[in-house]
Amino acid sequence: MSSLTMEARCLDKRGSFFKLIDTIASEIGELKQEMVQTDLALEDEPGGLQSLVKDMDNVSPEKKDVKGCPRDSGYDSLSNKLSVLDKLLHTHPVWLQLGLNDAEAVEILQTQPPGIFLVRKSARLQKKVISLRLPGECGSCLKEFAIKESTYTFSLEGSGISFADLFRLIAFYCISRDVLPFTLKLPHAIAAAKTEAELEEIAQLGLSFWSSPANSNPPNPSPPRRPAPADSARKDARQLCLINGVHAIRTRTPSELECSQTNGALCFINPLFLKVHSQDVSGSLKRQSPRAQDANGTERPRSPPPRPPPPAINSSLTSPQLSRTIKPASMPAPVSQKQQRDSGALRSKPAPVPPPRLKKQAVCSEAEGSGKPAAAAAAAAPRPGGGSPSARASEAPGAAGAAPPAQDPAASKKSPAAAAANGESPAQWDGGRQRLSDMSISTSSSDSLDFDRSMPLFGYEGDTNSSLEDFEGESDQESMAPPLKPKKKRNSSFVLPKIVKSQLRKVSGVFSSFMTPEKRMIKKIAEMSRDKRTYFGCLVQDYVSFLQENKECHVSSTDMLQTIRQFMTQVKNYLSQSSELDPPIESLIPEDQIDVVLEKAMHKCILKPLKGHIEAMLKEFHTADGSWKQLKENLQLVRQRNPQELGVFVPTPDFVDVEKIKVKFMSMQKMYSPEKKVMLLLRVCKLIYTVMENNSGRLYGADDFLPVLTYVLAQCDMLELDTEIEYMMELLDPSLLHGEGGYYLTSAYGALSLIKNFQEEQAARLLSSEARDTLRQWHKRRTTNRTIPSVDDFQNYLRVAFQEVNSGCTGKTLLVRPYITTEDVCQLCAEKFKVDNPEEYSLFLFVDDTWQQLTEDTYPQKIKAELHSRPQPQVFHFVYKRINSDPYGAIFQNNDDSAS
Amino acid sequence: MMAIRELKVCLLGDTGVGKSSIVCRFVQDHFDHNISPTIGASFMTKTVPCGNELHKFLIWDTAGQERFHSLAPMYYRGSAAAVIVYDITKQDSFHTLKKWVKELKEHGPENIVMAIAGNKCDLSDIREVPMKDAKEYAESIGAIVVETSAKNAVNIEELFQGISRQIPPLDPHENGNNGAIKLGKQTSQTGRRCC
Repeated sequence: MSSLTMEARCLDKRGSFFKLIDTIASEIGELKQEMVQTDLALEDEPGGLQSLVKDMDNVSPEKKDVKGCPRDSGYDSLSNKLSVLDKLLHTHPVWLQLGLNDAEAVEILQTQPPGIFLVRKSARLQKKVISLRLPGECGSCLKEFAIKESTYTFSLEGSGISFADLFRLIAFYCISRDVLPFTLKLPHAIAAAKTEAELEEIAQLGLSFWSSPANSNPPNPSPPRRPAPADSARKDARQLCLINGVHAIRTRTPSELECSQTNGALCFINPLFLKVHSQDVSGSLKRQSPRAQDANGTERPRSPPPRPPPPAINSSLTSPQLSRTIKPASMPAPVSQKQQRDSGALRSKPAPVPPPRLKKQAVCSEAEGSGKPAAAAAAAAPRPGGGSPSARASEAPGAAGAAPPAQDPAASKKSPAAAAANGESPAQWDGGRQRLSDMSISTSSSDSLDFDRSMPLFGYEGDTNSSLEDFEGESDQESMAPPLKPKKKRNSSFVLPKIVKSQLRKVSGVFSSFMTPEKRMIKKIAEMSRDKRTYFGCLVQDYVSFLQENKECHVSSTDMLQTIRQFMTQVKNYLSQSSELDPPIESLIPEDQIDVVLEKAMHKCILKPLKGHIEAMLKEFHTADGSWKQLKENLQLVRQRNPQELGVFVPTPDFVDVEKIKVKFMSMQKMYSPEKKVMLLLRVCKLIYTVMENNSGRLYGADDFLPVLTYVLAQCDMLELDTEIEYMMELLDPSLLHGEGGYYLTSAYGALSLIKNFQEEQAARLLSSEARDTLRQWHKRRTTNRTIPSVDDFQNYLRVAFQEVNSGCTGKTLLVRPYITTEDVCQLCAEKFKVDNPEEYSLFLFVDDTWQQLTEDTYPQKIKAELHSRPQPQVFHFVYKRINSDPYGAIFQNNDDSAS
Repeated sequence: MMAIRELKVCLLGDTGVGKSSIVCRFVQDHFDHNISPTIGASFMTKTVPCGNELHKFLIWDTAGQERFHSLAPMYYRGSAAAVIVYDITKQDSFHTLKKWVKELKEHGPENIVMAIAGNKCDLSDIREVPMKDAKEYAESIGAIVVETSAKNAVNIEELFQGISRQIPPLDPHENGNNGAIKLGKQTSQTGRRCC
């Protein structure tokens, strides 16, 4: 809230206050709507009580998703104007070059005009820096400005302004110089780009952009002049600042100071006000063109369409962007032994009954073909929680069912906004923008310094698109309420209460904007993990389904948990090194937090779906090896002893405390994250300590604590604690094992071991040597640096669908090594799917709406790898089915092949 | 900027010798007002400067009773250092100390720094363990040795400073925060049986 007061201070006193209120009001409105949705969604959740699988803390992420999703429709959203932030987001492969060394940076920048910059990691400073090209007269050609990373924020050294992520930081310094000698400047090509496609094209050049002809400088290096806004004095001041380099390192005149205030801190704090003046009539057309191409399907856009945003894929009625990616494309070479069928006819009708997930796409491509408005409306109301329908169905049965009714009111309410977003009603869109006109700092949409719809991002908002939504919501509101001209507002301050009254409910939207980059990142990774078109998604999904389907693949509970832990560590390594995360994680998360964030993401995308399975398996293992029975018997014995017999000589928790502790343990069981479980364990320990110390001021060490803990665990009499502790012990992030969590976890494990071996201990007063060995082995396992298995160990899974006339589609995940041929896979399938006449079946690849039968000597894993390596990820499926029949009559691909 | 290294330190010794008193004294003593509070005295942390590094001690207390002896490996595993405490007024506790040293040598982490603390030196008039014995023994095993008094805050700082000095500085090229793990690789003591 302090930002609001600051903002109020900084704002132009003549009326910006109204806009502030207005904005706040509209945001509250947003939240209200969302809150309604949330409530409905929760009420309608019948599965909510099957709490073994659903975490307690699930509830809140779910809620957040409801909020987050409608806003999160991707960076390439449908507005026709591109802000600095958008441009930065799209073109980070060009300017974000963390691997570049000093010499390379000099080499690139020396040929560039002043103001051009790179962000890289300086080996000398061990920090990220902005390498800024200085004007020629400054002596050295470039200067480095170190970026300070705290746990939550990024800032320039010496500056008091910090940002949630790197993009926001750079965008800000493109507008305001703050501690820099002058503002940063985007390369002309980027600054002048008008469409996302253009930016995407530039981005694809990556580092080579700098030496490519695309990076030619404009004849006049200064930014184009803009038509003068009404308030010319202020505009002049701004322009002074906007012309990069001109005022470099000079003492600032008062007018410049003023300008920097308006353009700087103010922008940062509430950029909502910086809406652009211009009508930009051409804007809507700009966006239309690439989509028109898609619709008729004949002309390929010059550059591949931007990656569809993950949430769009996950929405139940996928957005138009998705279908764009399902365009025909050439098949990978090794597959093409059999001819690729012309898929033209196929594409004109919905796909027959492909594996479940494709069906959804068929529907959506049809939707796109027939009516855009429908698809657009659908796009505006994605499902909460994200996830492909099938994935969601399995993980949260209740939520999926409940979503549509909950969504309805919101969808209808939002539809005008959605339409605007899709360029359906540019007038309305522009109307919304106009309202904020007097605060605009620029009037040309193509200018790199142009602030527009994405500017609100400078706060802690959910996502780029969330700001879009905010804005749309606002413009929507605007169309209903009498239009408020800024001039009017200035005239009388008593218009205020009225507006406030009508719109104050909107204020609550502010709260929804506190989605930190960390949460965004985790959400993004979780979404990616469900998107099988990404390599990462495939890796995770295949592993999860393999584990669920192959119960016999682990010899012991330890073996199973260990493999899962290894997998998580491995995937973390992969994510931190691969370029699949876009934007790169380093740009959103300060370096020392990256591992923490990735670990949380792993819990969400691996442990969450596996939790039920792991628990069931643990139970099975412990029942089978008798340890459960042993624990049960010994628990009874220990419970009969009084505290003194157990070596307890301090106050112990009474019945009520034990009940409290049991409640905590029960909520622990509902968590999937080992870290959250450990947090609850710590709370239990805290409670025990409070009872022990009993205000005596005495401090008790392990001599006293461990006996009490043993006593308490016995009193709780919960067999499940055994598996809980095992789960935490094996799955907790190794870096946490040395801390407080690790300590008390070790103690709890020790206490439980003592209980389990109570009988023997009574007999020998010592743990059996066997038990001691187990303890040793555990710590050895968890603390030595084992050689981590490579990704290869986990990527050898192949998901094969089995399509049968009568039974529809079933799927199995098979272990298929890279050198296994299709012939072998077919054999494996015949076994697994229990096919009587394997000669009638074959393995097919379904991709791009076409079926291809794979010949016997091809390697499915290689084909899969190739599909993954394509620049545009696609959904593909391996399907094991009859060669000569198509159960649903829609496709009959292989007639010719078999005949010839 | 100083790098913080987390060092796991494990406390061993008979029950009643004052293990946790030593830690409490160390952690809660004067001028350090930014200790992060922990749940209880069995796990405590304290950060001290050492050269151009900060050492964050993560101190793991163990239960000294015989029946908990078997759990000790879980506690000392992965430790950068072990503080083994005996009571100078109890010969038995010194005997137990020797058992701990033996166990650490056999099963403990490689290159663990061992520090012997003869606690309760304020009671030297009823001393049972001569200072000389402890010194000789410590020398024979290459361990730090001090006589401490948790009660009167004698030699407590020194004990941990001694440990800090024995921790080899991090390789300047490696900027990790898991110093305790890296330590094992970098110290250059002679080879030892692996457990």
